[in-house]
Amino acid sequence: MEFSLLVNAFEQMETTTSRLSLTDYLVQLFKITPPEEIEKVIYLIQGKLRPDFEGIEMGLAEKMILRALAHSSGKNVASLLEIYRSTGDLGDLTKEAMAHRNQTTLSSQVMTVERVYSVLFKIAKTSGPGSQEIKIKLVTGLINECSPREARYVIKFIVGSLRLGIADNTVMDALSLAFTGSKKNRVLLENAYNSSSDLGQVAKILATESLDAIEKIKISLFKPVRPMLAERSPTIEDVFKQVKGSAAAEFKLDGERIQVHKGKGHVELFSRRLEKITGHFPDIVSIIVESRISNSIFEGEVVAIDPKTLEFLPFQVLMRRRRKHRVSEAMKNYPVYLNVFDILYYDGESKIQLPYKDRRKLLEHLIAEINDRRVLLVPQEIVEDEKSIARYLSKALHAGCEGIMVKQLESEYRAGARGYAWIKLKKEYGSNLTDTLDLVIVGALYGRGRRVGRYGALLLAAYDPTSDTFKTTSKVGTGFTDQHLSDLYNNLEKYLLMHKHPRVDASMPMDIWFEPKIVIEIVASEITLSPIHTAGMNTVKENYGLALRFPKFTGKVRDDKIAEDATKIEEIVSLYKQQKRTISN
Amino acid sequence: MVFRARTRSTEEWKAVTSAISTLVDEATFEANIEGISFRGMDPSHVALIDIHWPNTTFESFECDSAVKFGVRIDELLKVIRRGEKKDSVEMSLAEDSTLLVKMHNGYRREYKMRLIESSASATPLPKLSFNTKAVLVAGSFDRILSDVNIVSEYLSIKSEASAIHFSGKGDSGEAEIVLDPKSEGLEELNVKEQSTATYSIDYLSKVTKAISTAGGSIAAEFSSKMPIRLEFRVMNLGRIHFYLAPRVQD
Repeated sequence: MEFSLLVNAFEQMETTTSRLSLTDYLVQLFKITPPEEIEKVIYLIQGKLRPDFEGIEMGLAEKMILRALAHSSGKNVASLLEIYRSTGDLGDLTKEAMAHRNQTTLSSQVMTVERVYSVLFKIAKTSGPGSQEIKIKLVTGLINECSPREARYVIKFIVGSLRLGIADNTVMDALSLAFTGSKKNRVLLENAYNSSSDLGQVAKILATESLDAIEKIKISLFKPVRPMLAERSPTIEDVFKQVKGSAAAEFKLDGERIQVHKGKGHVELFSRRLEKITGHFPDIVSIIVESRISNSIFEGEVVAIDPKTLEFLPFQVLMRRRRKHRVSEAMKNYPVYLNVFDILYYDGESKIQLPYKDRRKLLEHLIAEINDRRVLLVPQEIVEDEKSIARYLSKALHAGCEGIMVKQLESEYRAGARGYAWIKLKKEYGSNLTDTLDLVIVGALYGRGRRVGRYGALLLAAYDPTSDTFKTTSKVGTGFTDQHLSDLYNNLEKYLLMHKHPRVDASMPMDIWFEPKIVIEIVASEITLSPIHTAGMNTVKENYGLALRFPKFTGKVRDDKIAEDATKIEEIVSLYKQQKRTISN
Repeated sequence: MVFRARTRSTEEWKAVTSAISTLVDEATFEANIEGISFRGMDPSHVALIDIHWPNTTFESFECDSAVKFGVRIDELLKVIRRGEKKDSVEMSLAEDSTLLVKMHNGYRREYKMRLIESSASATPLPKLSFNTKAVLVAGSFDRILSDVNIVSEYLSIKSEASAIHFSGKGDSGEAEIVLDPKSEGLEELNVKEQSTATYSIDYLSKVTKAISTAGGSIAAEFSSKMPIRLEFRVMNLGRIHFYLAPRVQD
């Protein structure tokens, strides 16, 4: 397939912000894509080479790209930097520099998707001493064979600034339409994607085989399963209303959720965001490797403990393990426990269709097999009524947990789905909003005074799964230390946009916008009506949305959450309603 | 599998390896019954070298089946440079995927070089037709490049029926060298159509310096705004073609 066809589609998609037209462009693209190449096309659209869990990175710094571009364009790095300052994007710079290049080349081959993909893959796979030079050469060779328009996307891909604003859901809609003629089969694709976390593979099977083959995609070892998620419930009465009868209540620990895959003598750990994080917890890995269990997938919450007092340490401590270096130091200073809470696969068989109570029995068996004091079953108690839920909640809070999880005993494990089979209940709500919200940073105002050179205020949004967009609910400027501000400034840099992201619904003017990626935790005193924020617009009152009053950053950047894991609009709406009820009481 | 090729001096290998080293770090040679060949492009795809070195130009040549071998070109060049001009050179392939280089003229040097995995993607030749052909003495072309290079990085060539102009223009000034068939250094001029084009001196000069130490002449062929092809005509070296894409003016 000619690469220019993909470039045409990318260019069209860049100019639209409507999900419907994005879907249309994707459908057209998929229809002209040869079935054997759809996998690669999907990954390229997602801005990756392989599914996330394989952890393939291009490994090329901006500086190196500039050097490659200097080779290809015949311009020196200094003059390239000058153009870069005005375009602000390496892809745009590439197009500009290559279009005005004085040196022509000898090759006149038509660039294909296959060729672009294979060179990019080679770049990613090149490692070791001297690899930077080899990577530079590969980039140089590739963009020399491309037209300036094509080169622009190649570079955007490499630096990760592709920002087409296409959500996985939109891709699945388009796949369903292109190959089955109807959006309704999206559900089947979604199930397959939830089990395999590999959209490229799902697309390939759909294009080369059939919907039946899609239904046969089941969970398998070393492919992370998209995690089952809990609904939030504001009150004990509400929880009880949902579960109707007896349920399992468990401690909700403030740690990091991981998925453990164990094959023969081999273990991989995946984060909630499906990244491979095996290297973060070598202590856990070695326990599991040495255990007798085989071919299993199970989930647990890793919590750090203070080796002296044996108390749980807060979540941030755990995040130290995310740093690539000094894991061994963190391992010594902050030992961790794994609190296992679910099992998806055992002895080579999927167990997700078993009722939760049976999976828990299997877990007990598993824990006995692992037989290590650092791998535990998460504490659980069967609750029958509001009173026992309340008692268990206060017990959990007393033990330093953030709340409890209440799980329906008969429920299946539904990969990638959020529902009332699992309910999370945090502290009781009073007239003050004591629960925290996880919101996505979508825009910012530049700082003034002491904050010059950093952001003064961040615009935050909640997730709306129905429209697959992010709607604003708060502008926050307090709770940040200088360190937070500079860390955020650096982390946000790669998501910078000059215009609002197509999936962001905001009516507030901002200095700068971001791709919705970074999730932070916010506390606020209450939720109020707002004519300018778009979250919950028109749901509570005509022409009014919902805003947070006195929002404050808690200091937690939720690295473990992707944007779609942010607090949802309906949760904010229900918190608002709940709060009104409490006040009127 | 037998491959053994012997030359009477180190000059040929020196010219070949240094020419290739101006474009790539790793080279894959191909040997068969007919001789040794190499084709490769620089990473930015601006220049290409195509070498065909026939068996007849060797003192002795043995190769019973086609074989490819990859080398780090600067390593090979270092080895060759250790030899004296009058040393004979024998290249052969050993079973343990090494290249044996024996240089000998009273004093015997033997090197064993580790081969590298050959990157075997075929490089197609550009399809070109040329309107101008000028044959120059190698040293003379090198001199023209050096003359123009003091004012410019680029060489413009303009051909007319009876003369060929080499010029360059830079911030500091301009340079022009005109050769006609009576001029020293120009052996032949054949102009089907007047042609004008500009090329990077850096590329031209490096390859010319690499090969012209072996003497001989250069046939330069080009058309307006199209790649130039230099054919290096060196004793005992068969055919060396160097292609270079033009520059376009702002």
